[in-house]
Amino acid sequence: MKTSPRIQREVIESCKAGDERAFVEIVLQSKKKVFNIAYRMLGNSEEAKDLSQEVFISVFDSIKDLREEIKFDSWLTQITLNHCRNRRKYLKRRKYFNSDSLDDPVETEDGDMMPKALYDPSDSPETLYEKKMVQELIQRGLQKLKEDQRELLVLRDLQGCSYEEVGELLGLPEGTVKSKLHRARMDLKQVLEGFAH
Amino acid sequence: MECEKVRDRFSSLWEKELTPSEEKGIKDHLSSCRECQREFERFEKTMRWLRSVEELEVPDEFVSGLYKKMEKRKRMASAERSRKRWLSFPLPLKLPVQAVVMVAIVFLVLYLTKMMPMGVYRPKEAKQTSSPHSLEKRPEGILVQKEVERERGPSKIAPGVPRPKDVDRAETSAARKENLEADAPQIKGEAKKAEEPAPKTEVKGYRTLDSREEARGRALSREPEKFEKELLAKKKSVVAAKPSQEIVLRISDRDKAISQLRELVKQFKGEIVTTGENGLLASVPAGSFSEFRKELVDVSSGDADKGAARKQTAEGLGSLQEGKKEAIEGKGREPARLVADEGSRVVVRILLVQE
Repeated sequence: MKTSPRIQREVIESCKAGDERAFVEIVLQSKKKVFNIAYRMLGNSEEAKDLSQEVFISVFDSIKDLREEIKFDSWLTQITLNHCRNRRKYLKRRKYFNSDSLDDPVETEDGDMMPKALYDPSDSPETLYEKKMVQELIQRGLQKLKEDQRELLVLRDLQGCSYEEVGELLGLPEGTVKSKLHRARMDLKQVLEGFAH
Repeated sequence: MECEKVRDRFSSLWEKELTPSEEKGIKDHLSSCRECQREFERFEKTMRWLRSVEELEVPDEFVSGLYKKMEKRKRMASAERSRKRWLSFPLPLKLPVQAVVMVAIVFLVLYLTKMMPMGVYRPKEAKQTSSPHSLEKRPEGILVQKEVERERGPSKIAPGVPRPKDVDRAETSAARKENLEADAPQIKGEAKKAEEPAPKTEVKGYRTLDSREEARGRALSREPEKFEKELLAKKKSVVAAKPSQEIVLRISDRDKAISQLRELVKQFKGEIVTTGENGLLASVPAGSFSEFRKELVDVSSGDADKGAARKQTAEGLGSLQEGKKEAIEGKGREPARLVADEGSRVVVRILLVQE
């Protein structure tokens, strides 16, 4: 799991006791993980930042209810996913995602519009696309998937969670996680191929 | 092995989760099926891209923004708590409090609306009372105003006809203002007035109203002449009661002496107040009194009485000033006004003794 370092048990206990310095330490250690999950789930850095802050406020408010300090990371990820689901629903009601269709040209971080015809996975991608562009493509591809598929890919392939952790977080048996994850990957491949046609 | 089954195992093959026999079977199929091989290559590329995605850095202002949000939440939470606390109050406790507050608001509004008109006049009064002399003079002005109103009242309004309040109020306030303005300088400038000559036509020795007010009174009154007469009679009675000087003249011809005295008084810008059998009462300006007294001696027929002209009363011109102050400070308001008025004019009783 390529995430933030595991938070010490003492820090969590201090935070539970109301120590704000311990809370700050938790924020500093976990903000990258929370922000990246949010960004991959929502597809917008501003929304992700706002949502991550909301997540930490929820953590501060409810950490006293955390029973097992050892499961803090899973607990934090769970809170983040819940916030993301709620935020996506909210944004969907506001037609936030409507302008985004599979036919849209891909916009890079630099603001350049990349013609979708240029994308061809069969060509040598290393020569055609910069690393940044690949990341942008993946980001856009993720947004085209179903929510549960996106969650699976984010947790397993981006956050590096084990099948067991993913299963715990999503409340799925390990076998279901594997099959669903494969389906999600195949769909993503198809989405990326769709950008080329 | 069918293509579909092989493609379902792509993830397991890529994750190396297959048993060696399973892996061998799939790889054999891929080498024989060109389509499945191309599919696996695409899948592999997608997975490589997916795993190559790097984590983004958190924006710099993340933590500060978080603190701001937390502060805002705290404020909102405290406001919400206080609101809920009030809502959670039991109704038997909440209702009386609301009722009391409502009644208090109603009374406050009533009080304010009632006080509003008075507030218009107060600043003027406050302005007047800022002078120490005006404190003394204001009630006098009110008394005079009442007196004037009492005199005017019957002539102005027919019996049974209600007087319009607005007019009354306007007049009262205007008259009060005039009085206050007129009386204040009267006291301040007493010493000065004693030296100055008095205006020509009117008797001012014991005036209670100044000329402006009198003019106003005349204008407002429907019977100005009657009012003036009454006022004059009143003044004369007051003057007659308290002459400040008494001079005895010996004369041979009474009528001639009186006509001479009239001319003399006129010459000194004075005025004959009353004419009796034994003499007359005149009012002359204080500044020219000494000269007037000298001229009176010439009117007298005998030399003997040239020295007989003497002061009868204790109030001399000098003592008048002191008396004024005492009257202002300690005595009633009416005497104070009378003595103050004596300063500008001297009332002389001239007794005519037939030789």
